[in-house]
Amino acid sequence: MNFTQLFTYSSYVFGLFLSLTIMVLFLTWFERKALARFQMRMGPMRVGFHGTLQPIADAIKLISKEDILPAWADKLVYWFAPIIVFVPAFLVWVTIPFGKNMVLRSLDLGLFFIVAVSVLSILGLIMAGWGSANKYAVLGGLRAAGQLISYEIPLIMAILAIAILNQSLNLVEIVDSQVNIPNLFIQPLGLVLFFIAGLAELGRTPFDIHHAESEVVGGPFVEYSGAHWSVFYLSEYINTFTIGILTVLLFLGGWHWPNIPFSGNLQITLSVLVVLFKTMVVIGVIFWIRATYPRLRIDQLMSFGWKMLIPMAFINVTITASVLYYNLSLWILSIISIILLILCIFIIQRKFLINNEINTIKLISTKSLLDEKNEFELN
Amino acid sequence: MIGFLNGLLVTIKAGFRRPVTAQYPDPEKRLKIESRFMGFPSLTWDYQIEEPYCTGCMVCVRECPTECMSAKMKDNPLFSEGKSRRKKIIDEFEINLGRCILCGICVEVCNFDAIEMSHEHELSKRARNGNRFDLQQLLDLGIKFQSDTKWEPKQPEKNSGVPVKKINQNEDK
Repeated sequence: MNFTQLFTYSSYVFGLFLSLTIMVLFLTWFERKALARFQMRMGPMRVGFHGTLQPIADAIKLISKEDILPAWADKLVYWFAPIIVFVPAFLVWVTIPFGKNMVLRSLDLGLFFIVAVSVLSILGLIMAGWGSANKYAVLGGLRAAGQLISYEIPLIMAILAIAILNQSLNLVEIVDSQVNIPNLFIQPLGLVLFFIAGLAELGRTPFDIHHAESEVVGGPFVEYSGAHWSVFYLSEYINTFTIGILTVLLFLGGWHWPNIPFSGNLQITLSVLVVLFKTMVVIGVIFWIRATYPRLRIDQLMSFGWKMLIPMAFINVTITASVLYYNLSLWILSIISIILLILCIFIIQRKFLINNEINTIKLISTKSLLDEKNEFELN
Repeated sequence: MIGFLNGLLVTIKAGFRRPVTAQYPDPEKRLKIESRFMGFPSLTWDYQIEEPYCTGCMVCVRECPTECMSAKMKDNPLFSEGKSRRKKIIDEFEINLGRCILCGICVEVCNFDAIEMSHEHELSKRARNGNRFDLQQLLDLGIKFQSDTKWEPKQPEKNSGVPVKKINQNEDK
């Protein structure tokens, strides 16, 4: 590797890092503004025009804060956890295209790479929980591990169905094969599965039990402060952006649909803008969901994941594969997908999954206790 | 499930409504203060004679539940010149607004319409005793209140400071 190559690679990395950081700063501002509007507030207004400089002020404040190391903490694990959470979130972006011809490395196993790398961040969360020497943190880390591992499966299965449908694991090829019809219309069930599982992967609101303030006081991040906490924050928002852009690339047609009429540099710029716009819409939906729903209980989360999402994801893959194997029309696939989606809604509506005997705490009155005791004595 | 969708509908409806927040730090965007608003007490100014209404009778000082006031009277120089009806006039008056509980008893008790609850309510001060207001500061508050609300004394005939001609009074009797 000669010097010029090294220079180009490092400039790629620096540019990616800079653009992602700016994106994260924008996302924090956007989230606060969106949530404020959903609650009829104004959100940040004082720093800059409509609070646009607020994230920069926050960043300066976070960097200038003191880094606290708990006395009993496992030092090495504690300091390395933020890096292990951050690196996969950043590494995924090597192969994600954010516009026509705007990709660092168009890997043939792109989706596989994304899935394989993004799983690593679970390790970072467990390390953070363990290293903090804090019971809440350990509990949060374990919750994170359980949740992320079980929701990884429907996510991968939804991605797999897309890969089967478009006959490729390369993200650019997947986007290019959606020129006419985006996958949204062929696999609405896949979109829903991917989006819900993605929300759970991010730990966003209906699924944010691993950093639930009211239960585990911030989860694995309790003891972190200042710059190290901000690294967790950064990777969380980069992950949000990743899930948003993956939804756009896999299901909403990326920079195609509507097709951009121009050519050359203008087309590339417009394609980036189209992808960013669609991503912002998806992220807006994520914030909308955050403004609406309360947090799930852990048993609800697990039963929803294992009894609902995973079977549906497997059915989705099977149906996609068989439709393609028998060379049937894609319309059949979309009709079956919509039917399955309605079936999902019906199942949730009828509460088939919830076993009330197990999941609810019985109210035991003293009278019933006495009755039981009497019966026992009589016998 | 339909309940979930309903919830989404509720939030998106709220999202398109106007925010209810008033931007307090901008002086133009604050909420308007109602004229009946009760802020800290202030002393009123008699524009006819150009002196305060207060005669320093100490009623408010005695009635104050938190004992945050102190007052001192003096002989009115304008009375000896024949320009005012008030024999005595306030000399020193101090209210510790940090202790004041805005109960309004001083206003109710005053016989001379001399003390009034003003619209002043923002009293953070940098100095340690910055919210001990002396006579001049209280009068400033009062003058601001009077101009804001076009204040009139409740008993204008009894409390006006215009000197009465004694000869005319005797003739009437």
